[in-house]
Amino acid sequence: MGTTGRAEASATPAVELQQVHKRFGQVHAVRGVSLRIRENEFFSLLGPSGCGKTTVLRMISGFEVPTEGSLYLQGRLANTIPPYRRDTNLIFQHLALFPHLDVYDNIAFGLRLRRLPRDEIARKVRASLDLVDLAGYESRRIHQLSGGQKQRIAIARALINQPAVLLLDEPLGALDLRLRMQMQVELKEIQHRVGTTFIYVTHDQTEAMTMSDRIAVMNHGVVEQIGTGRDVYERPRTRFVATFLGDSNLIDARVERREPEQTVLRAGDQRLVAPADHAAGPGAAVTLCVRPERLRLVTPIDAPAPAGYENRVPARVHDVIFKGAFIEYRLTTGSGASMIAQAHANGSPAIAREGAVAATWRRDDGVVLTE
Amino acid sequence: MNARGGLRPPRAPRAQALVLPGLLGPAVVFIVGVLLTALGILLVNSAYHFTGTQVQPRVTFEAYRHFFTDPFYASVLWQEVRLAVVTTGICLLVGYPVAYAITKIRRPNWVIAAYILIFSPLLTSSIVRAYGWLVILARGGLVNWALAEAHLVGSPVRLVFNFTGVTIALVHVLLPFTVFPILSVLLRTDPTLREAAADLGATRLQTFLRVTWPLSFPGLYAAAQLTFVLAMNAYVTPQLLGGGRVQVLPLLIFENISDLNWPLAAVEAIALIALVWTTMFVSNLLFRRRLAAIGDRE
Repeated sequence: MGTTGRAEASATPAVELQQVHKRFGQVHAVRGVSLRIRENEFFSLLGPSGCGKTTVLRMISGFEVPTEGSLYLQGRLANTIPPYRRDTNLIFQHLALFPHLDVYDNIAFGLRLRRLPRDEIARKVRASLDLVDLAGYESRRIHQLSGGQKQRIAIARALINQPAVLLLDEPLGALDLRLRMQMQVELKEIQHRVGTTFIYVTHDQTEAMTMSDRIAVMNHGVVEQIGTGRDVYERPRTRFVATFLGDSNLIDARVERREPEQTVLRAGDQRLVAPADHAAGPGAAVTLCVRPERLRLVTPIDAPAPAGYENRVPARVHDVIFKGAFIEYRLTTGSGASMIAQAHANGSPAIAREGAVAATWRRDDGVVLTE
Repeated sequence: MNARGGLRPPRAPRAQALVLPGLLGPAVVFIVGVLLTALGILLVNSAYHFTGTQVQPRVTFEAYRHFFTDPFYASVLWQEVRLAVVTTGICLLVGYPVAYAITKIRRPNWVIAAYILIFSPLLTSSIVRAYGWLVILARGGLVNWALAEAHLVGSPVRLVFNFTGVTIALVHVLLPFTVFPILSVLLRTDPTLREAAADLGATRLQTFLRVTWPLSFPGLYAAAQLTFVLAMNAYVTPQLLGGGRVQVLPLLIFENISDLNWPLAAVEAIALIALVWTTMFVSNLLFRRRLAAIGDRE
C-alpha cells in the first residue's frame, strides 16, 4: 500500500455519518447523528449506557442498517453493505474469540477467508502476535488465556486484516483498573504503530480522554459535543457534557448585562462575571459551570482573594476528603447549594471541616452554558 | 432464638456434608439397586439350561452357544444396527435444520408453535402413533391413495410391514430426542461469535461452516447417541409396523420370555446392552479430541 495513496485520500473522511437515525420499533436509539472521522484518528464515542453509541458503532460495522441518513466509508455510501464486505473490523465488548479454535486459528480466521497462501498467513500471524507482545502463544486455547491476553488476541485478530477502520466496543470493560490503564496506553501505541483509524466506544470519560484525538459525547441518541478531550472538558457546551465529564459546579444564573469582554450574571444575590463567548442575551437563564480545581478557597471568609479572582461565593466546608494527589472540599453556599473544590495536596494544612470560606474564581475559569 | 442457641457450635459444615448424599441417595439406591439386581438375574439366567418347556438352574451356557452359532441372530443384529443407524442418520438430517431454523425464529409465539409441533409425538401413546402410521402408510392408506391419484405409481407401494415403514415411524418418534440436544447447544452458543465471523469477512455459509457447525458438534453428537440408543431399544414400532418382517432384539427378547426361554432372552438382552455400550465407548474414543476441544468453552 503506497503512502501517497493515503495522503491523497486524507481529504475524504474515513467514516462519515450524515443525519443518521436508527429506530428499533418504538425506540429511537440514534437521532440525527452527524460525524466526520478523519483517517488515522483515534476517535471516541463517549456516553452513558443507552445513549446510542454502540448502535452507531454497529451501523459503522454493518450489523445495523440506518433507518434514515447516510453512512460513508472512505467516501463510499455504505448503509447496507454487509459486515463481511466492509473494510472495518470490530472488537466486541466480550471479545467473541472463537472457543473451538486456538490462538493461531483465531488470528488467522480472516486471512484464511481471503485464501492467502499458508506461509503468508503464518508470517502475518507471527507478526501480529509480536505486535501484541504474545509471541509463542500460537497453540494456546482461548480459555487458557488471562483477561489481558484475550484482549490482545482480539486486537491481533482484528488488526491482521489491515482494516481501514478498527471499531472497539468497550473492550476494556471486563479488566481490572490497573490492567485497563495499561491497555489504554498500549492501544494508543498500537494505533500509532499501525496508523489505522480507531473508533472507540466507552462510557468511561478518563478512558476516552487518555486515548482519543477527539471525543464525541453522546446522550439520548444525540451527539452533544465533539472536540479534543481538553476542549470537551474545559469548554463543555451543555450541562450534560459538563456533568458527564468530570465534576462541575453548576450555578443557575441570569444574564444581567453583556459587555464586550465579559458577561455579568446574577445568581441569587451574587453578582458573577463570566466570559462573553456565548449567545445568551440579557435576561436569559443560563448555567455557569466552574470546574472544582479552578476554585480557590480563601479563609477566613473576609480575607482578600488572589489577584484576578473576581468571583466570590461565601460557603461552609461540610466535608474534607483526602484523595491522594488532591484534597476535595465539599461546600455548602450561603444559598444552600452544594459546591466542590479541589486543591493540590502540596503539604499545606487543609481547611478544617465546618470552617467558613469564600470560594473564589477568575472570570475565565467559568463557562456559560445555554443548553 | 435464645442465648444458648446462639452459643451452640456451628453445625453447618456437617449438615452440608449430608445434603448431597441426601439429595442423590434415593435415586442412586433405586437405580443402582434395581439395575444391578436385574443385571445379576439376567447374567445368572443366561447361563441356565432350557429344556424346551422350562428353565433348569443348571449352568450350561448353551444359550450363548446357540446365539453365537445360529446365523439367524447375526442377521437380526445386522438388521438392528442398520435400523438404528439409518434412523439416526435421517433424524440428524431432518433434525439439525429444524433445530437451526427454530433458533432463527423471531416471534415468540411461532417458537412455541414449533416446539409443540416437534414435541407432539411424545404426547401420544406409542401404540396410537404406530396405528396412525399404519393407516397412513398401508396399501389403501393415505400416502398410496395420494400417489395413485397423482399417477406417480401404477400399483401401491409397500410402505408398511417392512424396514421402510419401521424407519419412517421411528424417525417420527425419535425426532424430538434429536432436535432437543442440538437446539439447546445452538441456543447456548454466543450469537456474537457469528457476528465476529461475519465481521472478519465470513459469508453466512462460511460462518455456518467455520463457527456454528463446529460449535454445535457436541449437541449433534449427544443427539446422535440418544437417538441411536432409543432406536436400538425400540419395541412397539418394529412390532406393529414391522409385521413380523423386521426382526430386532427387543422383539426376540419378548418372544423368548413369552416362550419361557429365559436363558436365550437373557443372552439377547446382554447382547443388546453390550452392543449399545460398545458403540458408545468406541464413538467416545473416536470423537474425544474433537469434543474436548469444544468442551472447554466454559
